[in-house]
Amino acid sequence: MDPPVRSWARVFEVRRAADDTYWIELDCPDVATDAKPGQFVMLGTGLGDVAAPFLPRPFSIGARQAHGRLGFLVRVFGAGTRRLSEVSPGDELLVLGPLGRPFRLPEDRSIVCLAGGVGLAPFLFVGAEARTGDHQVRIVYGERSGDRVFDPELIRRITGIEPELRTEDGSVGRRGLVIDDLDLGDQPQLLACGPDPMLRACFDLARRRGLPLQVSVEEHMGCGVGTCQGCVVLSSGGEWIKSCTEGPVFDARELAWQT
Amino acid sequence: MADLSQHLLGVSFQSPVLLASGTCGYGEEYADLIPLEEIGGLVTKAVSLEPRAGNPPHRVAETPGGMINAIGLQNVGLDRFRAEKLPWLRANLRAAQVLINVVGHSAEEYGAVVAGLDSDDGFLGYEINVSCPNVNDGTLFGVDQRALSGLVAGLRAITERPLVVKLTPNVPDIGVYARICEEAGADGLSTINTFPGMLIDVEKRRPVIGNVSGGVSGPAILPMGVYLTWRAAAAVSIPVIGIGGIRSGSDALQYVLAGASMVQVGTALFVDPSAPIQIQADVTEYMERHGFARLADLVGALTISDRP
Repeated sequence: MDPPVRSWARVFEVRRAADDTYWIELDCPDVATDAKPGQFVMLGTGLGDVAAPFLPRPFSIGARQAHGRLGFLVRVFGAGTRRLSEVSPGDELLVLGPLGRPFRLPEDRSIVCLAGGVGLAPFLFVGAEARTGDHQVRIVYGERSGDRVFDPELIRRITGIEPELRTEDGSVGRRGLVIDDLDLGDQPQLLACGPDPMLRACFDLARRRGLPLQVSVEEHMGCGVGTCQGCVVLSSGGEWIKSCTEGPVFDARELAWQT
Repeated sequence: MADLSQHLLGVSFQSPVLLASGTCGYGEEYADLIPLEEIGGLVTKAVSLEPRAGNPPHRVAETPGGMINAIGLQNVGLDRFRAEKLPWLRANLRAAQVLINVVGHSAEEYGAVVAGLDSDDGFLGYEINVSCPNVNDGTLFGVDQRALSGLVAGLRAITERPLVVKLTPNVPDIGVYARICEEAGADGLSTINTFPGMLIDVEKRRPVIGNVSGGVSGPAILPMGVYLTWRAAAAVSIPVIGIGGIRSGSDALQYVLAGASMVQVGTALFVDPSAPIQIQADVTEYMERHGFARLADLVGALTISDRP
């Protein structure tokens, strides 16, 4: 894989996509050229001031658009993501990437993406890239409530895929979780990204059905490049392994799944 | 052209900027992003005798103006460091100097790591991390005057390579600990390590950090680092390397004026890996603007008087 690049990127567009949720496109051709679905970047505001986010935050690459533009799904969780969500076109953000191991998309299977919350982000890129390949891709996307559902029209525009929506309160799409009542007829490759309990449920589902599963994990990160060892997850062998360089995408069997 | 080089620990450093231990891995991880051969050098991730697994997550979190971490000194251990990490440093860093950060739970463990490395090529010397609990009596080496003196003297007897002791800020008078190290044979000091701290997630009513507490670093600790470096440098005649919250040339110069011969950049790397090169450019610009030909002329060049 090509080495990551550190680069200031100009904000091209900011769209509100749901409550506290934004789609932000950045002009960063140096970073975009080699980006692959499942990889991430560190996004920050640089060393000029110490207001949050002082440390850059990891974001899955949400899509690669024309002209070296990358799209990111930014949801407000705290002061740092609040400030990142308030950028305007023309502002600059410091980007480090692309980072991490991408999804490994099989040639001979269809793909079912299981997305929980902001875990949708990498699957927008998977879906968009699949358009240019031969992959059959479904996106099953769940949120707690309808006001948090990322604009389905935007999902269609980015990926060309009609998302299968689930909400726990039933206000948008089917009521329930992404793994409820799933038709998995043709032995697909499962990809999952979302909160820990959801990933655990996806792992159980994959094991029960005998299906291959890759997961993209979310952890607090310091550096994003493997030096600080801040972002570890527990491997099936009982070791702490770095989600930034050994992940963020893992074969689910590489990880320990606590019961 | 301003001369950034500094002569200390028996060698010439081409620049006063080092990368701090724990923030630059074993060098290789940042090789694509930082032109390592253009800076002063780096201090490796800590090396212990046996591999260490480290702490459960979360290991890092942001704090106002910085971060808190409790990695737990996760490292590959002496044998794998020698087999897998040192060869890369040996082959790739020639103009940049390498210090190996050493940790242990006993004076014997520190000694075994130093003895195990001492005949290898590819590094200049050691930075001794004394912010580790001593298994024999549970205190930290860095806050126990007798343990610290014994540790440094013991290592001095094992190696002729430069021995730099990285002091903890958690002592009432850092000058006392600085002198203890100098008298026991240390060649230099690094001031300072992180401050202990804690963050609580009030929604969950749980500590943010898996280890409950951790070390605070970043711009938030800059004034304490400058102060403690000034105190330490005034107490000894061996060189001092300033650390704590440096993110600009101006920050680095504060440490130099306080008495530091070199500086280390840590947390700032995570925010922007270009920081070390930018700091060097900033310091060069300052020296030219103020008419200083050599950086050495700025070390400790602080004017303290009643009137401005």
